[in-house]
Amino acid sequence: MSAPAPAMPKSWYVPSKPHKFCPGCGHGIVLKALGEAIDELGIQDQAIFGCDIGCSLLSWDFFACDSTQTHHGRTTPVMVGIKRSRPELICIGYMGDGGGYSIGSQHLLNSAVRNERVTLILVNNTNYGMTGGQMAPTTLPGQKTETTPYGRDPEVTGYPTMGPEFIAAVTPDSAYVARGTVARFKQLKKYIKTALQNQIAGNGFSFVEVLSTCPTNWRTNAQQTWNFLEDEMEKQFPVGELKNPLGKGDK
Amino acid sequence: MFSFTSNSSQRIVEAFVGEYASGKSEIAINRALELKDQGHKVTLVDLDTVEPFYTLRVISKQLWETGLNIISYNREDSFGLGETGAMLKPAARWALMNEGDVILDIGYGVHGARTLNLVEGAFESPELCIIAVINGTRPMTNSRARTREFLEELGRVDAVILNTHLGDQTTLDIIIEGNQFIREAAEELGVPIAYIAISEDFRGLIPADQWDLPVKYIKRYMPGAIW
Amino acid sequence: MPNVIGEPKKSFMTGNETAAWACLAAGAEIMFGYPITPQNEIMHYWTRLAPKYDKGFLQTEDELSAGFTVCGSVQSGKKAFTATAGPGNVLMQEPFGMAEAMRLPLLAIIQQRGGPSSGTVVYSQQEVTLTTFGGNGEGMRIVYSTASHQEIYDYIIKGFNTAWKYRFPVFILGDGYQAKMREPLEMYDPEDRGIEMVKPYPLIGLGGEIGKDREAEHLCNIYSLEEELYEVVMKVAAEYESIQDNLVEYSEKNCEDADVIILSHGVVSRAAEDAMNILRAQGIKAGYFRPITLRPYPQQQLRDAIAKSGAKVLLCAESAYGQLQRLTKQELYGETIKMESLFMPGVGIIDYDIVEKVKSVI
Repeated sequence: MSAPAPAMPKSWYVPSKPHKFCPGCGHGIVLKALGEAIDELGIQDQAIFGCDIGCSLLSWDFFACDSTQTHHGRTTPVMVGIKRSRPELICIGYMGDGGGYSIGSQHLLNSAVRNERVTLILVNNTNYGMTGGQMAPTTLPGQKTETTPYGRDPEVTGYPTMGPEFIAAVTPDSAYVARGTVARFKQLKKYIKTALQNQIAGNGFSFVEVLSTCPTNWRTNAQQTWNFLEDEMEKQFPVGELKNPLGKGDK
Repeated sequence: MFSFTSNSSQRIVEAFVGEYASGKSEIAINRALELKDQGHKVTLVDLDTVEPFYTLRVISKQLWETGLNIISYNREDSFGLGETGAMLKPAARWALMNEGDVILDIGYGVHGARTLNLVEGAFESPELCIIAVINGTRPMTNSRARTREFLEELGRVDAVILNTHLGDQTTLDIIIEGNQFIREAAEELGVPIAYIAISEDFRGLIPADQWDLPVKYIKRYMPGAIW
Repeated sequence: MPNVIGEPKKSFMTGNETAAWACLAAGAEIMFGYPITPQNEIMHYWTRLAPKYDKGFLQTEDELSAGFTVCGSVQSGKKAFTATAGPGNVLMQEPFGMAEAMRLPLLAIIQQRGGPSSGTVVYSQQEVTLTTFGGNGEGMRIVYSTASHQEIYDYIIKGFNTAWKYRFPVFILGDGYQAKMREPLEMYDPEDRGIEMVKPYPLIGLGGEIGKDREAEHLCNIYSLEEELYEVVMKVAAEYESIQDNLVEYSEKNCEDADVIILSHGVVSRAAEDAMNILRAQGIKAGYFRPITLRPYPQQQLRDAIAKSGAKVLLCAESAYGQLQRLTKQELYGETIKMESLFMPGVGIIDYDIVEKVKSVI
């Protein structure tokens, strides 16, 4: 008797499965939440999925949605260009913390200020994964990476970027801003779904940062990985909704 | 009809506004030199804040030599200023403090005559006359309706100069056709027409009874610039 | 498409205004841009015209964003364009590279200013190398170097068609003088001249139900294996080479019996033509050759002009320190004609400069 096939969202692109993320990586969980949200909203045919460079790139053919690739940090303007040209499309930018908060920070900041009607999902795993575990804007104080071999010293390299907090500060109330975590799937899916609904309603900029895991570069086992995510990261990065025009925030 | 003759105790303060490349600078230079030749003391002010280093600066030296008082950036002044953003030469702010007539060449821009807010006392000046220069071959002013729309957007305009031409390809027909609809637009709005400006190349080629409006022949100075 | 010009009309305009009107007449739908002199009035006029003709505009946070929003827009099927200069052109090489790789039919108007670095905001021809071969690619672009307002108008209309027909990024290479100078031109609606505008089409956002009507479109811009990339680049190169003959444009005068051929492009070619006429009047057999497309370069046509004339000297006159000449040398590999140069980086060139130079080298 063959085992039942694992339940996959309809909007996933089957030929690209199994996916190529490392074991224990959080991307798969984020993309599952996104896939289920797309299914529940019935927007697969209108969705444009755009992925950045970095590990997020591995999702380029993840969905059975029209998808496009660009350069490191430039997913935001490509999505903005599409949305400005074809407002009926649902534009979903998917990026890491390096792409969003470092090399593409000017695009993130200014598209937030302009309240662009796009949904951006930014995966925060506290390091540059694909290039081999260098310091990211989100690396925790004291955290060891390949370019902070003695731990990140905030005196030298500053404190972690608080993305949703700064985006909440520059957007009007019609924007949606939240920070979720792969440790709480239901909540994460709700955030992502609301971020899509906010775009569909034409309200404004919709942004979800997702705390995620990178055992390969963290060099952690399963227990350590989960501890780092739930204890260390959440201490620095509070989880919750910062802005929700569609309902009360739960923070 | 609008008249430029003012009582002799009053000095002349004229500001020329209009579309990009409408001929504002040429008209302003010609007017300043005309007044100087009449024995007036004249200050010519370049108020083009959008592209100050592209306009009068190229010929400001030549104009200085005519005896005009020029308030404009010179080529050497522009050193290190980099991007030609909204640069206002401080002396321009106090241009009306100069003794004698003041001719203001206002650059183009969405603010139109409001650029005069930058000149201390301009709008309070009883002598101030704001004159729109219109060329009927410019896309934004190439019909009666468009000219009218343009004049309405400009804000305060005290008079209009009909300045239709097509550079080296100007013909009498082009001049007549363009100036006719500009005139109609101005008359619809009740704005007086100061005169028709025509390149001196056409002197003697225009029938005396062509218009019941004054005609001024102007010399082109701007081709002296490299472009 | 609605007529925007109507009856063809002679107009007295600056080059930047001309560019904005040409984009409108060509049916461009949206512009993304960032302020930089000397192209600003393209944005100024586009934003004045846009609401009247139901067109779009976004002022982005920088040129990277302007370039990438255009990339997104053309992927979604819109005729989109941008305009820039100098350091902005440097930043835009990143999105232009994406357009080359993904075959995105964008159009960019480059109004060259002085360089290197911030240089001057006025004029030069120093963005030839950047515009033809900038970025981490192979220069799979089409670059038209214009010399008059009429050409800015004509080649922008043509450029949109070239971009959408062949799907290579197209550049209109002007300069600060062309941007700011005033001269007459005739504006027209392309349809009235029998020019059929190529319709844009989406690469993503294709409509229909995925999995039923069609499969999802996954546009790819990065390759995992050397061999994959090799195949893609070789295929693009072969396609580019196969259309070169259709694209190459040039202007040649008096080369049949020339002893010296004056080579120039863009606004300098106006001085070169005047210089040729002056020299001819003085009994000096001067010819004139001007590449209109700098990519692809009319190399066979220039070789033919040299061969039939038997000219001894090819004088390259440019407002740069040898960017056109370098391009020409690589295209003319094997020719033995003596190459002389009149390099005036960042400075305008007039007929007198060229006449004097010709006399000193023959």
